[in-house]
This record gives sequence, structure tokens and C-alpha cells, in this order.
Amino acid sequence: MHSPDPAAASSFTPRPEQIFFPDPSVDRAMGILMALATEVYVLRDRQLALERMLAAQGIVDLAQLDAEPAPAEAAAMAADREAFVAHLMSSVLGVQASKGVAA
Amino acid sequence: MNATAPNLHASGATISARSFAAAQGFITAVKVYWHVELFPAVHAEYEHRAAAAAATPETVDDVGQLLRESTLYQYFGWFERHMQRFKYAGRYGLVAWHRQQRRELLARLDGAAAVELHPELEMPRYYVSCDIHQHPGGVWSDDVAGFVYERAASTTTPLAGNKHADLHDRFTDVIGRECAAPQRVLDMGCGFGKSTRPIAEHFPDAQIDAVDLSAPCLQVAALDARNVRYRQMNAAATDYPDAHFDLVTSTMLLHEMPPPVIEKTLAEAARVLRPGGKMVHLDFYHLADPFRRFIHYTHGRRNNEPFMEPLAEMDLPGTLERLGFTHVRIEPFEETDGALAPDFRSWRFPWTVITAERA
Repeated sequence: MHSPDPAAASSFTPRPEQIFFPDPSVDRAMGILMALATEVYVLRDRQLALERMLAAQGIVDLAQLDAEPAPAEAAAMAADREAFVAHLMSSVLGVQASKGVAA
Repeated sequence: MNATAPNLHASGATISARSFAAAQGFITAVKVYWHVELFPAVHAEYEHRAAAAAATPETVDDVGQLLRESTLYQYFGWFERHMQRFKYAGRYGLVAWHRQQRRELLARLDGAAAVELHPELEMPRYYVSCDIHQHPGGVWSDDVAGFVYERAASTTTPLAGNKHADLHDRFTDVIGRECAAPQRVLDMGCGFGKSTRPIAEHFPDAQIDAVDLSAPCLQVAALDARNVRYRQMNAAATDYPDAHFDLVTSTMLLHEMPPPVIEKTLAEAARVLRPGGKMVHLDFYHLADPFRRFIHYTHGRRNNEPFMEPLAEMDLPGTLERLGFTHVRIEPFEETDGALAPDFRSWRFPWTVITAERA
């Protein structure tokens, strides 16, 4: 028997988490993915709220914000988009970015 | 705060109410998808595999064998386990959110109506050795655990949405049909009072006693005490005289206790009930369909409820008759409109009303 002492709960010994996939690395990667998905939704919620507030004060034009960018703006965004994709995808190549010990 | 202190709110170290609501809303939406879309999809895949199997699956193990290799079932299990973890223990989890407001929450408890606490009461080992519902520290060890549990329970059955309170009102209607005008009522394992309040409203002239092991939950319950006396006590060993009550109830209590304690608690109910008094429990019981039974039992494991399966496998009618009860009835409970209809595709718990009369 235990007393209702909060210390009893804080003396918790970590137990291994349950495994659902044949490869446990998938279980852990899913945790990272859903943590990011939660953050994406929190940011999305906040951005939409900001847009509504700014629109209500006449600071932004939501119709203009929602419209497809004009060719000049699209061209200006292209370089940024390509740099983003390059950084995202470069890990797939499996190449060292600095000279180091061979694999 | 000095002038150079970092702005914790802007850095994200403090959770804003908007972020908390957005994250919890996201988690609930994922859980709803799990109930409404993933469960029927797993069911369909199971039916497909069962049709191709050499023998008709009859046991929970048979179902487990068929689903073990199913990628869909692996995701189904992962999402149930880990969305509940995120709900409680994530960055925007209930624990972090309530701990952030600890001072304000504890100040609210200062104004609570009288609640009888017994700090010397020993917590049973089964109660402290597993954090039910994946609530870190359980529903008992932290001063704000009652508020955490109260908030968590508002999305326990995400399909019911805002109608979740209906579940308790519906159960109170069942109780009212069993026992029209009790003078003394005992609600066992009352938690933060969600089950007790509708009963107190339904029987405004009765004296209601409500007991629970958790002091933090009882303190939250007592914020709206009405005609209820909240007391910290083990339902399996109360201090009430024999034959004291006309009615004993519990809501979702039995499945949180190992069978020997369930039996002891039912024996205690028999002791404190007057002859002819009624006992009504709302809980989860045995499912005939092996697929749904498998989902029920594996849910118990995924949600840290180790006694869900043992309760469902107990011989409750035999136990109750042995303990001195008659007119035992074990009946399905419709927790929301249409839940018992054959075409209800989503996952639902095997809600069951257990009714008996003290001989």
C-alpha cells in the first residue's frame, strides 16, 4: 500500500513505450511527425486568426491575399522555392557536406 | 520581472489559450477520424481476412492473429495510443496547460464547499501503479489533477461532442426508473462529480453521499456540491452503517479495479444497502462479437486500463447473486442516439447497465 504522497508518483520509473509497427523506428518517427502536425495546425490557426483581425481593421485585403500571385510575384518567389526544395531534398543524396571520415 | 527578462510568451515557453485550444481541437479531430473512418476501415479489413481464413475467428487471440500483419491496424493502434499521450502529455497537453495555471486553479479550490478529506487514507497499489487514461501521475497525485481530469473527460467520447453530458443524464434517467424516490444515495467513485451532479439534480430531496479515493477530484466536485456530501474514502471499505442507503450507483468505476476489488466493492454495496434497495452501475462489459471484443481489450492496453478485460470476463450475474443480490439485469446502454442501431459503424464502448436489488 502507498500513502497519497505526490512523491510516489514522481518516483515513476520510465517504462518502454508500446510498439505498433514491425520496425520501432516507425513508431518514433510517427511521434515526431504528429508533433510537427500539431505545431502546423497551431500555426495555421494563429495565422488565420491574424489574417481575420488584420482584414477587420482594413490592413490586409483577404481577396488579394487569396488570389493566385501575378506572374511578376510568382517569378520573384521561384528562387526562394527552389532553395527550399534543394535544402529539403539534399539529404536524400547521402553525400557529406564537409570532408570527413568515409562511411 | 526585470527589464531584461525574456518574454516567455513570445518565445513559446508559455502556452497561450488559443494555442492550447487549437492543439487540443486538432487532437480531438484526429480522434474523431479514428472512430469514424479508421475503425470501420480496420473492421472491413478484418472481415476480408476472416473470410479468407481457414477457420472462423472465435477468440480475441484469433482476431489478433488475423490483424497482426495489417499495416492499417498498426496505424490504428498507434493513433489511439499516441493521440491520447499528446492529449495529456504533449507540449500542448492537459498536464502542461493546467500546471501553468496552478496558482489560479488552486485559488478556486479555496472557495470550494466543504469536502471531507483523509490525507492518511492509503491509496491501493493497483490505483497508484498505473496511470489510468495515460494521465501522468494518475487522477490523484497532483493538486490540479481534478481539473485535468475534468477537462479530459469533455472529450472522452469525441463522437458525442458537446452532448457528452447527455450520457450522464441518460444514465440518471435509467436510475430514476429503477428507484423512484430514494432518501439516501451513495455514488461510488464519483471522481470530479460529473456522475453525481445529475443524480443530485434528479433527486433534489435526497441526501447524496459521494466517495472517491482522489482528493484533487473531490475538491473539484465540491465546487458545485448541491445536496451532495463529498468524502474521500475507498468505495470497497466505507464507514457507513449496514442497510443505510436506498440506492448505490457508480459510473465507469468497476473497470478501473482488479476483480477482487470489484467483488469487494459490490459486497460493500450489498452491506450498505437496505433490503430491497437498488444498485445501478454504468460500465463496459462483455461483447459477443470477437472483433469488437478484441478492439475493446486492446483499447484497455493502449489507454492504460488493465482491468477493462478482466471486468468484461467476470461472471457478474453469478457474483452478484452470491453477494446477496436478486433481480440482476445486465443490459446494453444507449449512450447517444442511434448507438445501438445495427448500422452504427463507428467504434463505441460496450456501455452496459448493471442493475440489482438487495435481497
